[in-house]
Amino acid sequence: MTTHSIADLAVPEIRFANKSLGKNAFRVAGQVVAALLLIAAITFVFSRVIPVNATTTGFFYLVVILMIAATWGLLESTIASVAAMLCFNYFFFPPVGTLTIADPQNWVALFAFLATSLTASQLSARAKRRTQEAVARQREMERLYSLSRGLLLTDPTQPTPNQMVQNIAKAFEFPAVVLYDRSSNQIYRAAEGELPGIDMKLREATMRSTSFRDQKGNFTIVPIRLGGQPIGSVAIQDCSLSDAALQSVLNLVAIGLERALSQESVNRAEIARRSEELKSTLLDALAHEFKTPLTSIKAATTGLLTEPTDELPQHQRELVSIADEGADRLSKLVSDAIQLARIEGGKFRLNRGAHFASSLIAAALRQIKPFMDGREIKVSAPEDMPPVWVDAELIEMVISHLLDNALKYSPSDAAISTEAGLADGRMIICVSDQGPGITEEEQRKIFEKFYRGAAQRNLKGSGMGLSIAREIIDAHGEKIWVTSQLGGGSRFCFSLPIAKESNNE
Amino acid sequence: MSAGRILVIDDDPQIRRAMRATLTARDYQVTDAKTGEEGLEKLRSGAFDLVLLDMNMPGMGGIETCRLIRSGSEVAIIMLTVSTSERDKVDALDAGADDYITKPFSMPELLARIRASLRRLPQPPGQADLGPLEALGVEIDLPSRQVTVRDRVSRLTAKEFDLLSYLLARSNKTVSHRELLQAVWGPDYGDELEYLRVFINRLRKKIEPDSSKPQFLLTDAWAGYRFHLPQ
Repeated sequence: MTTHSIADLAVPEIRFANKSLGKNAFRVAGQVVAALLLIAAITFVFSRVIPVNATTTGFFYLVVILMIAATWGLLESTIASVAAMLCFNYFFFPPVGTLTIADPQNWVALFAFLATSLTASQLSARAKRRTQEAVARQREMERLYSLSRGLLLTDPTQPTPNQMVQNIAKAFEFPAVVLYDRSSNQIYRAAEGELPGIDMKLREATMRSTSFRDQKGNFTIVPIRLGGQPIGSVAIQDCSLSDAALQSVLNLVAIGLERALSQESVNRAEIARRSEELKSTLLDALAHEFKTPLTSIKAATTGLLTEPTDELPQHQRELVSIADEGADRLSKLVSDAIQLARIEGGKFRLNRGAHFASSLIAAALRQIKPFMDGREIKVSAPEDMPPVWVDAELIEMVISHLLDNALKYSPSDAAISTEAGLADGRMIICVSDQGPGITEEEQRKIFEKFYRGAAQRNLKGSGMGLSIAREIIDAHGEKIWVTSQLGGGSRFCFSLPIAKESNNE
Repeated sequence: MSAGRILVIDDDPQIRRAMRATLTARDYQVTDAKTGEEGLEKLRSGAFDLVLLDMNMPGMGGIETCRLIRSGSEVAIIMLTVSTSERDKVDALDAGADDYITKPFSMPELLARIRASLRRLPQPPGQADLGPLEALGVEIDLPSRQVTVRDRVSRLTAKEFDLLSYLLARSNKTVSHRELLQAVWGPDYGDELEYLRVFINRLRKKIEPDSSKPQFLLTDAWAGYRFHLPQ
């Protein structure tokens, strides 16, 4: 194991290339054998082929050991140093052929040789390590650069986190990268095969905001933080990054995730805006298509009805009136359907303007006239009241729904009235009928969708009038309520804001 | 003797037919046009008292047509609109229309509006005494409907003129919305606050040295408008 740790320190790029530890050891062993062979060759040449003196041999040994240290590493050069020392002693110091040394001076020379060769190997190996580290840092920087480029150039049509894990795995040649995005609670992976249990660990790392190592798959799992808050975590298999580089990757991922999130919310808002625009364009077109033929019908019927009486016999006048009222009914239905489509979903813009309560009530009365069957509605709306700041179409719709309700739910001879008045700086508009009244329990429910009083299930209509009315009044930031007692009629009221001076300009 | 010459500009043939039939029966002289472009052409070649202009037309569109008509003529314009939205109404008046009516409308209603647009304010007693007004570098010459502000001359449309002279005849007094609407447009009116809002703004652009800081046409919140005549 010590062999590995030294090799790891000395040759970091081997870890980078993801070679297995076994292969690594095999290579170091080969290099040790080669170093020993070199020493043996020198010994053979200088003792048998070209005999030279001991000093020359010693220097030559030193040169070769330095070269071994510079090219291979500390381990190889240390072993070579010891071997060279032994050979030096055996073959060159008298008595030659033994490991004993006669002259004490040669002891000193031999130890000086050993100390020199060991120190030199260490210095040379350290220099080599520094160089290799510098190269490794440079490679890390290059990979970080290519990663940041990759993250900047993400394809907007694909999910960003997915592209990020692919980019990280590609830039650093990691076998597996898994990312957990907390905001979407999604796991993104760039890996071949199954990675059991990694999802749980990623969630845990995010939850606890701590990093840890998973020994089984050799995963490094680290949380991604933004502004101190964990926004996710990433697991990297065989991570060989320096702490600084890993931190840079995490920062890039954090920024990427944040950017993706804000981009997504911008996109969502844009889509919502466009669909609202499309909807209102469609509704305008629909209104135009329906109302254009209605306009010519209405022009024809009302044109006929304004002819002097003697030119249009009574029965013909009656028939034209029927067509005229039918056109009115259809027109009201179309308007209602279009307004309904507009407020459907709860998101709609108010077209506010300054309007008199009396004119809103008058417009609502005109709208429901074809449904009144000749019944009378009493109106009390003083003309000297300030105008209200409302969406006139929608408020007219609320009033006409309330009047329509009163017509439906009260006997045909009972009085209906509507009045407007000021209270606490707001306009209050009420519609009262003398119908059967509503129980307290039902009063809570009637503003809900599709609710209809227990006794009135056979009446026509959608049962949505009151819930629409409430939605419109809510959108104005105002209130709608009902007061009623069984047998005593009902009174629906709502409040409206008064127009300010600035509204009138 | 015709009651007035009316140009109907609408892309729908049925509506043109219905208008022609009903309005001719009421002694109006009716000419029609299918598009804004054709309408402008007819306006150049003939004299009209009133234009009925559809807001929603293919091609140039009603608002643009209205603006072009208004840039060279003070003829009365009633806009026909499908939408009842505040924005469309104000757009129509801003483009220079005198009035608008929402489709589908009844003939009596349209006839009332035509009469209101063609009707002129009877000269209020004492108005003849109002000579040309000169104050704060602004010159208002009522008889010729001409306003000069810092050498910039603009002409008033009939309704603008009526509104201004009504307020001027009651200067330094607040005139209520309802009174103004009924005096200038007619007895059927009184609720159309947006008319006043737009017309007062149009007038301010023509007579105020700085229309964002009015010195003559003042708003009295909730109550109405007042012409401030410097003593």
